Amino acid sequence: MAQFRIAHLYPSLMNLYGDRGNLITLQKRLQWYGHECIVEPINLGCQIDYESFDMVFMGGGSDREQELVCLELLCQADNLWKELENDLPALFICGAYQLLGSYYESADGKQLKGLAFFKLYTLSEPERLTGNVVIASRLNQEITTVVGFENHAGRTYLDDESLQPFGTVLAGFGNNGQDGQEGIQYKNVIGTYLHGPLLPKNPQVADFFIKAMANRKGLEIKGQLNDLLEDYAHQQIKRKTLGG
Amino acid sequence: MSRIRTVIAIAVAKLLICLSRLLGNQGTDFPGRIARIIDPHILEKLAANVKEEIYIITGTNGKTTTTNMIARILEEKGYSFVHNQAGANMITGITTAFIKEADILGKKAFAYALLETDEAYVPLLLKEITPRVVLITNFFRDQLDRFGELDKTISLIKDAVRDTEVELVLNADDPLVVHFHNDTGLHCWYYGFEDTDYDVFEGEESREGRFCVFCGAELQYERFHYAQLGKFQCLNCGSHNPRRNFTGHDLHMSPEIRFAVNNLDIYSPYLGFYNAYNILAAVSVAKLVGIQDDIIQRAIASYKPQAGRMEQFQIGDQKAIQILVKNPTGLNQALAALINDPSSKALFFALNDNTADGRDVSWIWDAQVETLTSPNAGVSSITCSGLRSGDAALRFKYAGFDEELIRVEDELEAGITACLSTEAEIYYLLCTYTALFPIRKILSRLARKARGKTMGNIFNEKLTARGE
Repeated sequence: MAQFRIAHLYPSLMNLYGDRGNLITLQKRLQWYGHECIVEPINLGCQIDYESFDMVFMGGGSDREQELVCLELLCQADNLWKELENDLPALFICGAYQLLGSYYESADGKQLKGLAFFKLYTLSEPERLTGNVVIASRLNQEITTVVGFENHAGRTYLDDESLQPFGTVLAGFGNNGQDGQEGIQYKNVIGTYLHGPLLPKNPQVADFFIKAMANRKGLEIKGQLNDLLEDYAHQQIKRKTLGG
Repeated sequence: MSRIRTVIAIAVAKLLICLSRLLGNQGTDFPGRIARIIDPHILEKLAANVKEEIYIITGTNGKTTTTNMIARILEEKGYSFVHNQAGANMITGITTAFIKEADILGKKAFAYALLETDEAYVPLLLKEITPRVVLITNFFRDQLDRFGELDKTISLIKDAVRDTEVELVLNADDPLVVHFHNDTGLHCWYYGFEDTDYDVFEGEESREGRFCVFCGAELQYERFHYAQLGKFQCLNCGSHNPRRNFTGHDLHMSPEIRFAVNNLDIYSPYLGFYNAYNILAAVSVAKLVGIQDDIIQRAIASYKPQAGRMEQFQIGDQKAIQILVKNPTGLNQALAALINDPSSKALFFALNDNTADGRDVSWIWDAQVETLTSPNAGVSSITCSGLRSGDAALRFKYAGFDEELIRVEDELEAGITACLSTEAEIYYLLCTYTALFPIRKILSRLARKARGKTMGNIFNEKLTARGE
């Protein structure tokens, strides 16, 4: 039995739309695979030793809270990026995903500087992109559908052809409602607009992170979990959203 | 011409109300919508028949109960009033409520109107009618997908009341509500609780109002009464709870609610701190209307819960309780009530994602469902139903329930039957808004059928006894 540690960045600020369900899912599934998982909340003012963690998670927040977090993270950006380059698994949802880019421009024209990990930027518009979303995504060399719920005013544009989106939109809006791309994927990092929360009803994505965490420890995840309920929920949304 | 239009609008809408009743629907939104198409000024005209005052009750939680309690008080006093019932709280539902009470010419006068109003519809409603008071119960996270984040809702309401003459009745214990005075300059009445024996001193993760609305710094809480409601101050800019005009004190909740409002003793058969807040809000408004103390006391003591608010059904020898849940706070309340009940229980949860439920169901992950897995909660089985039964099932599975105890039946009736066929002392049926009335109908029918059967049995037994 191994012990895994996940850093939950700024839970009291970035906690919209049940995103903590993602952490519950990782914790439970690791337990069911026979391991232990500790989630450590990281609050404003904490120095973070990213090297000591097996994964990083950050959820979405409102504009005001996003600004507070960004100021804090800018000071630690180099350390975080070093570990992400080192295959540290990380999941960034909605507002946290937008922070990975070079800037976020609110509807009134105010620009918020991002961490600039990737060449992407976000422009906010008054009309929110809201609804169920289904994408096709490549995970561990397999194409799989991923379902979720999106709710964002920001339109995100990947500004570099070499950047790989998290998936291709089958139904819903995705990054900007125009180019059919959703999120971003780089090494073991996923940035996405998908709430729902994402991981409970997309066990393939949850296991992608779990396997990546184990790999970095030189471990192999053994066995197969019973995902009947997970698949049921996944199919229910897919049927509803794609029809048929 | 305009008067003919009004008469036609009222006639058509009244007909639609009758028709939808015949079809067994609630008929709350559609008739109003059609009437508004025929006569866009219908609500404005009918609202002009209110001779005394109009009260708007809004906020995330407690609007329905608070409004119904005020209605009970006005009824006890013998005043006539218009009141939109059972959560039909968008502008079309409010229009329907006025038409239901109107005469065909649209001239019948009323003393008061009590309008429970969805937060997002307050700005629209204020364009058509002029209330004396807007009561805001609280702001919690609720069905955010309809209009973005809470911040935006709050600022829309603020913009709508600014430059009007309305008075605000506000919860002094909710940091998200109290800044209305500074931002609008309107006259504000505050209600809130003194320190109680039920306060806690530590926060939970998902409290909404942790940050000062004036300067953004983290608020310092001395105590929490309930969720984010409590005694707070901002160390950075000095903002704090405003002075109360209506103070709840000497609160006792075991099991029923007893407390005093400015020394007026109040008793209610209701349960839970959230209902103490609803009562306090209702009493505050009643005092503003000028109702006598003994009438307020009598009305609150005799107030009965409405559909889905802990309504009980006796189905043969089985007892079922239906609870409407709309957001994490509501779900936490329901779970707390359930855990307080020592009986062994079967749980049913119907989760829908229609517009009126909120299309985003992720809120179920913000509730403390884990509390249900403690052995003294006594939950023997869970049946998940509705359009998003799968999401509901996963919430329970990841809260730590054994998969074997979780059953999924999308159809409401099949789900209810499955739940009632399990062994338990009591059956708790939780549901979101659009499943409320369908489930209520099924439970009422089952209860009637069971009664019929018992009567039949007694009749047969009598026949047997007489040797026929």
